[in-house]
Amino acid sequence: MNVLYTTVGLIGVYLYVSFVSLLWDGLDRKLVARMQRRVGPPLLQPFYDFLKLASKESIIPRDSNKMFEVSPILALAASIALLAYTPIGFGPILATKGDVVVFIYLLALIAFIRVIGAVSSGSPYAQIGAQREVIMLASREAPMMLGLFVILWRLAKLDVEKPFSLETLYQHNIWEIGTPLTIVGSLVLLIVFIFWLASEIEVGYFNIPEAETEVAEGPMAEYSGRYLALFKLSSSLKEFASASLVVAIFFPWGLSQYLGISGMGAMLVDLIFHTIKVFTVLFISMSLFRAITGRLRVTQAVNLFWSRILPASIVGAILLAIDILGVIA
Amino acid sequence: MNALPWLIITPLFGAFSMPILGLLGRKVREYWAVIISGFTFAIAARIFYSIWKSNEILLYTLGDVTPIGKGVNFPIRIIWEVDLFGALLALTVTFVSFLAIVYSLGYMKDDSGLDKYYTLVLVLELGMLGIVITGDIFNFYVFLEIMSIASYVLVAFRNDTWEGIEAGIKYMFVGSLASSFILLGIALLYGQYGTLTMAYLAVKVAENPTLVSRVALAFLIGGLLFKSGAVPVHMWLSDAHPAAPSSISAMLSGLVIKVGGVYAIARIVFGVFNPGLHEYLKALGAPSIDVNTLGWAIIFFGCLTLIVGNAMAVIQTDMKRLFAFSSVGQIGYILLGIGIGVVAYGEKAGEIALTGAVYHIVNHAVIKALLFFVAGAVIHQVGTKNLNELSGLARRMPLTTLSFLIGAAAIIGLPPLNGFASKWLIYESSAMYNPILAVIAVVGTVFSLAAYTRVLFTFLGIESERVKTATEPEKTMLIPMLFLVVIIILMGLLPWQINERVMLPVAKMLEQLKGEYIMALIKFIGGV
Repeated sequence: MNVLYTTVGLIGVYLYVSFVSLLWDGLDRKLVARMQRRVGPPLLQPFYDFLKLASKESIIPRDSNKMFEVSPILALAASIALLAYTPIGFGPILATKGDVVVFIYLLALIAFIRVIGAVSSGSPYAQIGAQREVIMLASREAPMMLGLFVILWRLAKLDVEKPFSLETLYQHNIWEIGTPLTIVGSLVLLIVFIFWLASEIEVGYFNIPEAETEVAEGPMAEYSGRYLALFKLSSSLKEFASASLVVAIFFPWGLSQYLGISGMGAMLVDLIFHTIKVFTVLFISMSLFRAITGRLRVTQAVNLFWSRILPASIVGAILLAIDILGVIA
Repeated sequence: MNALPWLIITPLFGAFSMPILGLLGRKVREYWAVIISGFTFAIAARIFYSIWKSNEILLYTLGDVTPIGKGVNFPIRIIWEVDLFGALLALTVTFVSFLAIVYSLGYMKDDSGLDKYYTLVLVLELGMLGIVITGDIFNFYVFLEIMSIASYVLVAFRNDTWEGIEAGIKYMFVGSLASSFILLGIALLYGQYGTLTMAYLAVKVAENPTLVSRVALAFLIGGLLFKSGAVPVHMWLSDAHPAAPSSISAMLSGLVIKVGGVYAIARIVFGVFNPGLHEYLKALGAPSIDVNTLGWAIIFFGCLTLIVGNAMAVIQTDMKRLFAFSSVGQIGYILLGIGIGVVAYGEKAGEIALTGAVYHIVNHAVIKALLFFVAGAVIHQVGTKNLNELSGLARRMPLTTLSFLIGAAAIIGLPPLNGFASKWLIYESSAMYNPILAVIAVVGTVFSLAAYTRVLFTFLGIESERVKTATEPEKTMLIPMLFLVVIIILMGLLPWQINERVMLPVAKMLEQLKGEYIMALIKFIGGV
């Protein structure tokens, strides 16, 4: 019975997130267009794009192998699995002790499957894109993991039942610790996470692997038709999941307790409120960032991560750790 | 009826009858090897099941019902003493050997001198089985030499290639030196204590832990670290594995370095120089052997091995050499687990580490056998193992590529596959014991990830000229590979059940908190 509820819940969340994440893509395009004094596409444009791609003929390159056709499906499967571990206004559907590792793993796995698909296509453009993707993957995950683990470790000290689960973010949050050092540390980590989010969804500075004008869409160079539609959908889901993580860490407050709703209604209200918060975070980290910054070179981006963002993450981690380790009384 | 002797008799009979049956023709010879190794696997499975069910140590005396001689009250005959750890290793050995023999049917078919080949493979299996079941330290040495000599010859089996001969000579010279260290250690122990039965030796060492016993321990550990390919003495391994036929590399890397190396280390440390016993003596103020130093020495070599092995794997251009260095790296994890098991003896971290080490022995045997089978299939079909010449195999050899993908993902330790659980246990225990060790272990895994990602690009990438005409290997080579893929996935889906029901009891029996290994012997000879 429990398995059944979980399955139904996951399907529901999947349908909802597919809808809102594609909706956000439309909103994002509209907003960026307005920032550049254009009218922009209609709000539902990503849905039309998706349907059109799905109905087109899929061209499979002569030099490709089986993984070329399998990886879009694997990528979508991994994204759907990721949704089961994503905090969406309430704890993840499959919340357990230590599920944060699964979350990070699935997030990296989606990128890695894209790489496998790109390498399998037999196109040199895709190969270059894939190499860039791996380089970016290796650089961006370290500061994020450090920040995430230190936050969850700090919260685990506040007496939670499932340590290192993303569910704990809804039981305690880092702002309620309240000492000046932790607040400064959390703000530093917030900046780290905003940068991480921008590179995870590859916009602005970090639009390096895809780089339309430079390496012709990079990993996606050879994809067309249905396969491209599946990849686009899975990136949208990943976008939403990554932004959900940032929202859950830094802005976990729900509306339901203030409105005095409980049960299913509370979950619904929290989910919608969470979606609004995700849109806000994505507006800053995606739309604004995309509109006002250009692409960096891959060496510059790697340099930025290892020499600026990782040290910032270390500083944030130390500030968060200081009062519990009792270094200063 | 006691099934234990049949574990030795069957491969021995198979090996000695091979030259005669081989006269009947090629097919008979091949079927005979498959039947014998399959039958040995069945016996090992039965022994493992009975020990697992009863959770008791199985003892057997050669030549009599009791090992006690006339007029003396201590064991003088050879005894075989099999606990769950030994039985688990026997099961792994017979399983991988069986698959390697099936694989050889297709893989070795263009070679000559195959009557000798199958004889040697069965002798190699026999030597390994002898090591895991024996309870007598000199008998252990004899089986170690049987195993070693068979593997020297098998490494140099293709004696028309320069690298086979070169690697064989290197392996033989340094391997003999290591064996003589082990023999010297055994001689010192015998000279000091006058017994060769391991469990009885443990009692004697505890009664009077002299300097000689410490020197002997150092000689034994030194020799066995060589046999397991730990870092300062791993150079033979990186030459022997690429030069040997791939079916033999699978056995060497999956089994020989574990049975002749880490199994023997664990057995000598926990069976003869038991840390619990010596810590108890220390608490009483009696003279004892400092097991912490021993544990830290093993941890030191483990950490060195896992960093150097995995880092060296990243820069290889030869596929089999890469896998060989990766084996060195994985031995590092096992040694790290055993080392933490010694220093944190009796604590939670020690038990988890030991469980992880035992689990990783089995997992790595299965995974590395698969990877070497894949390498063998590539060499057999394409004719090169140079990664720079190979590219885009996936289109022509999809099943082989799938096997490689699964094997590589499992050895890095990706969650739905079996390598994850064992590595997780080792990380967790090392983080509990000393976080620096966990960091070293994770760094090793990062190197291994980099190494295998490179090979992945080779398999997928753009098709090179060389592989345009490649095809899938024949069925006898494909079936063992796919079978191992299924095993890896199944073990990966039930990690904690396997851990709970098999690996934890194995580790507990190896750890022997109450001196079970010694008590089993005393009970057997009708003592206290």
